[in-house]
Amino acid sequence: MAGVQLNGIVKAYGAVQVVHGIDLEVNEQEFVVLVGPSGCGKSTTLRMIAGLEEISDGDLTIDGRRVNRVAPKDRDVAMVFQNYALYPHLNVAENIAFGLRIRKESKEVIASSVEEVGNILGLTPYLERRPADLSGGQRQRVAMGRAIVRRPKVFLFDEPLSNLDAKLRTQMRAEIKRLHKRLGVTSIYVTHDQVEAMTLADRIVVMNDGKIEQVGSPMDLFLNPANTFVAGFLGSPPMNMVAAQITSGGDAPVAEFGGQRLTLAPLPSLQNAVGKNVILGIRPEFVRIADDSAADSVKVEVDLTETLGSEALIHASLNGEPFVIRTETVGQMNVLDGISGFTIAPNLIRVFDAETGVALPGQVTEQ
Amino acid sequence: MFPTPIQKQSMAAQVSYQALLPLALIMWLLPLIAVALFSIRPLADFTNGNYWGMPSSFEFFENYGKVFFESDMPRYLWNSVLITVPTVIGAVALSCMTGFALGIYRFRGNLLIFFMFIAGNFVPFQILMVPVRDLTVSIGLYDTKLGLVLFHVAFQTGFCTLFMRNFIRALPHELIEAARVEGVAEWRIFWFVVLPLMRPAIAALSVLIFTFIWNDYFWAVVLTQGPGAQPVTAGITSFNSQFVAQYHLMSAGSIVAALPPVAMFFLMQRHFIAGLTLGAVK
Repeated sequence: MAGVQLNGIVKAYGAVQVVHGIDLEVNEQEFVVLVGPSGCGKSTTLRMIAGLEEISDGDLTIDGRRVNRVAPKDRDVAMVFQNYALYPHLNVAENIAFGLRIRKESKEVIASSVEEVGNILGLTPYLERRPADLSGGQRQRVAMGRAIVRRPKVFLFDEPLSNLDAKLRTQMRAEIKRLHKRLGVTSIYVTHDQVEAMTLADRIVVMNDGKIEQVGSPMDLFLNPANTFVAGFLGSPPMNMVAAQITSGGDAPVAEFGGQRLTLAPLPSLQNAVGKNVILGIRPEFVRIADDSAADSVKVEVDLTETLGSEALIHASLNGEPFVIRTETVGQMNVLDGISGFTIAPNLIRVFDAETGVALPGQVTEQ
Repeated sequence: MFPTPIQKQSMAAQVSYQALLPLALIMWLLPLIAVALFSIRPLADFTNGNYWGMPSSFEFFENYGKVFFESDMPRYLWNSVLITVPTVIGAVALSCMTGFALGIYRFRGNLLIFFMFIAGNFVPFQILMVPVRDLTVSIGLYDTKLGLVLFHVAFQTGFCTLFMRNFIRALPHELIEAARVEGVAEWRIFWFVVLPLMRPAIAALSVLIFTFIWNDYFWAVVLTQGPGAQPVTAGITSFNSQFVAQYHLMSAGSIVAALPPVAMFFLMQRHFIAGLTLGAVK
């Protein structure tokens, strides 16, 4: 088991640079998730760690050893692929044992390892089957079994759950988490699904356009996104963004938009920004519904209410822009139809610079 | 759907189709039918000019018996086997490796080398006749089975490489990457991962190359002479002696010579069809 360090990792295809200098330290036993939209360079970064892509510049260290020029087979990592990449001509047991067989392990060691992995992953009844005769979830388990049987230093996951249906995905997600708790192997996991990132990660790395946007624990990123990209990417439904201007400072700075106003937290960075154009980030979950009579309520026009059972999504518009409110249903079904406004606590509003998209400094929401 | 199934077309179309199809078939098979008929006639029929009428006597056993027991045909057949089988093995084995190298590795000149393999197929082999014959004579391989095998392997590897490279390209690349990450050396990836997956391609290609080589006449005539090395396709002409052409025996010999590829086709039909379409559709 070992940590992984990336120092200024760059990937370029000819003149086109796709990963622009990644710095990241993955600690021993940590579960780090790289997340971002497709084409953001997260898979390329993972493949560079695996050794499947050449590193154009920078240093990659695994367990304290620089491995830029080390062949994948000598890096002692294991990778789980999106399409499982099981050997179709071998059965489950042979697939799992393949790496050990190649390493000329003794028959007894192979047999006991396969048996153990089969037990951990619930594959014992299927050991004699070919991959073609397995369901998607079972194939995924075999792929993981093949990775864990060698006890590598690092696990690499490349969107391992995207080929599964929603229900199975939730189930396998929990299994991966459990497996990591049990084995404690350093893991790097790539996904475009922010729910997977939130649930699995010790730390999330949000990537965009070949750069790291923010690194932090899931809750930290959720509550304190560093910029509008992270704010819009994490959370479902995403954070509402309202263009506004800070019009007065003092003890209770105020932001105005389309004739309405919201009171902001009394932070120096906000108080000193009078006249600045900002974007107010408002999580759909942090909003309290209120009627017009409340003095500090913000008016919205409701287009549509989606009831999801325990909660409802209210699709409204504010200043002509879509605005989503997420609220509980139980006990307030009768008010859901007549919503005309909301209130929000000042410290739950995240204020971003409208030009750069970066959060104004000093705003920290405690978990 | 196009073309429209014949059952769904007009009555006139159906009738003319059913009338013309057998006719076309007969015309197509006429040479074969003629050879089959010739092979059971006595020699006298040819000297009397009775080519197309009823055979004056039925000489099936006589003719085929002579082919098998009183001529060099068994030797020629055995030569064919000794030439065809090593060629198939050599060409397929080589092209598995070239196909792997060209299909898996990205290196400078990959495409250029691949195109050269393909371009070799476009060289009309007639223009190679004199240089190849001179070459085999000068290295002492003229009129040997080895010479013929070497030339066939060299010439067939181009097509086989095209075939194998495209097949390997179509394999999921993650399989190779998964093996690499698992710590498998490259030649072991070839042997334990890629080769087992190539079985259908190897079967199809073997059947195809077997028929190509067995049916080769041109190079057999150019590079060999006499029953020491000549395969059956060329050996048949030995029934044409200086003074008499034994058409009935030549026909019987032709039928015998044609049987192995035909049998191969029917036995391995599935692979044969697969072979014709494998490289084409990815």
